[in-house]
Amino acid sequence: MSSSLGRIGAIARTTFIELARLRVFYVLVLFALVLIISSSFLARISFQQELQVTKDIGLGAINFFLSMLAIVATAQLLPRDLEDRVIYSVLAKPVRRFEYMLGKFFGVLGLLIISLVAMSILCLAVIHLREGAAVRETMQQLAQSPSEELDHALVGVHQAGANRDLVLALLLTLTKAAVLISLTLCISSFATSNIFTITAMAMVYLVGHLESIARDFWLHQRAAGWLVRAFLAAVAFFFPDLQAFNLSDQIIAGGSLSNLMLLKLLGLGVIYIVGYLVIAIAIFSRREL
Amino acid sequence: MTEPAIRVIHATKIFPTPFRRRRIVALQDLNLEIAPGEIYGLLGPNGSGKSTTLKIILGLIGPTRGSVRIFGRDNSSVAVRRDIGFLPENAYFHKFLTGAETLRFHAKLSGLPRRQTKSRVAELLATVGLARAADARLGTYSKGMLQRIGLAQALIHYPKILVLDEPTAAVDPAGSRDIQNLIVSLKKRGTTILLSSHLLTQVQEVCDRVGILHRGKLLREGHLEDLLAIENQTELIVENATPDLLHRLEREIAAANARVVARRKPQTSLEQLFLKVTETGDE
Amino acid sequence: MKPVLALILILAAFVPLKLKMEAACDRIGPGALSIDLREQIGQAAFIAVLGGFRSVIADLLFIDAYSGWERTDWTYLLLRLRQATELQPRAILFWEMAGWHMAWNAGTAALEDDSKSPAARRRLQHDYLELGEDFLVRGIAHNPEKPQLYEALARLYRDKFHDHARAAENFEKASRLPGHASYDERFSAYELSYCEGREREAYDRLLTLYQRGENQRLPRLLNQLRAMEERLKIPANERVIP
Repeated sequence: MSSSLGRIGAIARTTFIELARLRVFYVLVLFALVLIISSSFLARISFQQELQVTKDIGLGAINFFLSMLAIVATAQLLPRDLEDRVIYSVLAKPVRRFEYMLGKFFGVLGLLIISLVAMSILCLAVIHLREGAAVRETMQQLAQSPSEELDHALVGVHQAGANRDLVLALLLTLTKAAVLISLTLCISSFATSNIFTITAMAMVYLVGHLESIARDFWLHQRAAGWLVRAFLAAVAFFFPDLQAFNLSDQIIAGGSLSNLMLLKLLGLGVIYIVGYLVIAIAIFSRREL
Repeated sequence: MTEPAIRVIHATKIFPTPFRRRRIVALQDLNLEIAPGEIYGLLGPNGSGKSTTLKIILGLIGPTRGSVRIFGRDNSSVAVRRDIGFLPENAYFHKFLTGAETLRFHAKLSGLPRRQTKSRVAELLATVGLARAADARLGTYSKGMLQRIGLAQALIHYPKILVLDEPTAAVDPAGSRDIQNLIVSLKKRGTTILLSSHLLTQVQEVCDRVGILHRGKLLREGHLEDLLAIENQTELIVENATPDLLHRLEREIAAANARVVARRKPQTSLEQLFLKVTETGDE
Repeated sequence: MKPVLALILILAAFVPLKLKMEAACDRIGPGALSIDLREQIGQAAFIAVLGGFRSVIADLLFIDAYSGWERTDWTYLLLRLRQATELQPRAILFWEMAGWHMAWNAGTAALEDDSKSPAARRRLQHDYLELGEDFLVRGIAHNPEKPQLYEALARLYRDKFHDHARAAENFEKASRLPGHASYDERFSAYELSYCEGREREAYDRLLTLYQRGENQRLPRLLNQLRAMEERLKIPANERVIP
C-alpha cells in the first residue's frame, strides 16, 4: 500500500513539475490576475455595486481560469507521454495503470490548488481594499446620521465584503475543477489527440452547466418525443451538473451556505471524481500502448 | 530443470483496424524461450514484429492469444516487472528533470528502498559515464547521453532481466563499445538480456542466441555459432606462412578431394580501426 | 472480464448514485432562462451565462442600464433592469434600484414631460409607478427573507402611492426579518397612524415603542404619540406625553 502511494506520489510530483514549467500556466495566471484587478476599475463605474462587482468578476475569473487550466493541463498529459514514449519507461516498471492515472490526477490537482491560492489571495485583497473604501465612504456620507443608522449601514457593508461563504465558494470552485480533471482524464484515456480532448471537454463544460435543466426535463416532461427524451437521459446519466458548484451567485447576493449543503455538494463532487476516474482507469487499463 | 527467464507461448497479436478493413497480424503463434543468464538477440526488418514482441513480454500490450511467463509467473501480474528493466527505442524521459532526478524517479517507481536510492543513483551515473552531467536537465543531453541515462534507469532496481530495444542507436562507436562491455559484464553477473537491434555486427559480438522475425513469424532461431557456421567449410588463419607453404597446402587439399574456396588476407573491422586510431590519438 | 461488461457494471453503479446525489443537491436556484433573453442579450452573453458567468453578465447589464438612465431612455433602462434581475434574482440591489428608477426617475420624468397632456402624463407616471411596484414585489418573491425590499416597497407606497396601510404593512414585515433597519417598527406605526379607523392600533404600537426606552423616544415618535393621544381623547392621567 505504502509503495503504491509512493509511486502515485512520484508520478504526481513529476506531473506537477512538468505543468509548472509550462509557460501557459504563467500566462493564464497572469491573465486571471489582470482580470481580477480590472474588476476594481469596472466597479468604479457603479459606486453602489463596488463590492458585488468585484466579487462577481473576481470569482468568475477564478472559476473560468481554474476550469480552463484543469482541462488544458490535463488534456496534454497522456498524449505527450505517449508521443515522447515516456510512458513506456514508466509502465514497464511495476506501476499499475491506476497508479499512473491517480498520479496524473493529483499532479494537476496540486497545480490547481496553488493557482487557486494565488488568485484567491489577490481577489480577497482587492475585496478587502474595496470594503475599506466602502466603509470610509459610508462613514463620510452618514457622518451626520444617528449612530444606529451608521452601524446598520456598516453591517451591510461588512456583510457584502469577504466572509466565510466566499471561502466556501472558492472551495466549491476547486471541487468543480477537480471534477473537470477527472472527466478530462476519462476522455483522454481513449482519445488519440490533445485537440480532440479539449474540444470534447469544451462541449462537456457547456452541457454540464445545462445538465440540471436536461435532467429536470427528462424526469418531468412526458410530452417530448422518444429521441429527445433519450438525448436528455444521456445528458442526465453521463454529464456532471457543473452548475451545482456555481454557488457564488447566491453567496455574493448574500445567501448563506449551510454546512449540510456544503457537505452534500462536496459529496457530489467526490462521486463525480471517483466515478469518472474509475471509468478512466478501466478504459486506460485496456488501452494498447 | 530451471524455469526459463522468459517464455513466450503461442503468442499471436492481431491489431484491429477501424472500419472493418483487413486486420494487422503483427505476430503469428510465436514461441520463444530465453534461459536465465543468456543474451538473446531479436532481429528482423522494420514491421517484423520485434517491438510488438517486446511490448508483449513487458506487459505493455496483451497478446490476442497465448501467454508470457517470466520465471514461471504470468506476466500480466504487475509485480513481475520488478524483475525487468527496459530501455525503449529512442526513448525520451522527462526533459525537465535532471539526470539524478530521473534516476530517483525511476527508483521510486521500481520500489527500490529509499535508503539504497542515493548510493545506487551515484553508482549508475558513474557506470554510464554521466556523473558530471547528473545535475543537468535531460533537455540539455545529447542523444548518446539520453541513451545512457535510459540504460541507467533500466538497471536502477537490479533487474534479473534486461530488455534493450536498439541500445546503441545514436551512440558513437566508443559509447557503443562501452554499452557492449556493460552488457557482457551484466551477463557475467547472471542477468538475462533480451536485445533487439539492427546493428548485426554488434548482435554477433554479444549474443548467445538469436531469433530472426519476419512478418510476425520466427523464421530462424538458435545459437550463433550454429546458425552462422557454413557446414562444409573450415576457416584456417595462418600467420607468417611462406608462399611455398601455402602452395604445398593447396596441393594437399586438392589431393584430398577438397577445394580451396577463397584465399585472402583477413581484415580488421572499420570499428576496430577507428578505435585503435582514436585511442592512439588520445595518447 | 470483457471490457464492455466492466464498463456497463461501472456505469450501472455510478449513474443511479449520481442522479440520487444530484437530486439531493437540487436547491432553489436562479431558475431557467427564457428564450427571449437569448435574443435580447445576444449569443456571446448567453453562452457566457450558460458557462457559469451569470452574475458577471448580470452586473454588466446592470451597469449598462445606467447609460439608459443618463440618456433618459426609459425603455432601454427598463429592458436592462429586467434582464439583470432575471439573470441574478438574488441581487437585492438590482430590484431595489429597478423599483427606484421606475417609480422615482421614470415616473417623475413622465410627469414633467411637456410634450404630453396632463392626463397623459399622470397616466404614464402611474404606469411607471406600477412597474416599480412590480419589480419590488417580484424581488420580494425571490428574496422573502431580505428586509430591504419590503422597506423599499413601503417607501414606494408611502411616498408615491400615498397608501399608508400598505406602507405600514410592509415596514412591519421588514421589522420581523433579521438585518432590518432600526426605524422599521417606528415607521410602520407612523404610517398606521394615518390610516382611518386604525388609530387605536397605531397608538398601542407607538406606546409600546415609547416604553422601550430613550433610544425610541425620538422627536417624531413623541409628536406622533401626542397627536394620537389627542385624536383618541386619552384621559390626561393616562397620557404619557404631557
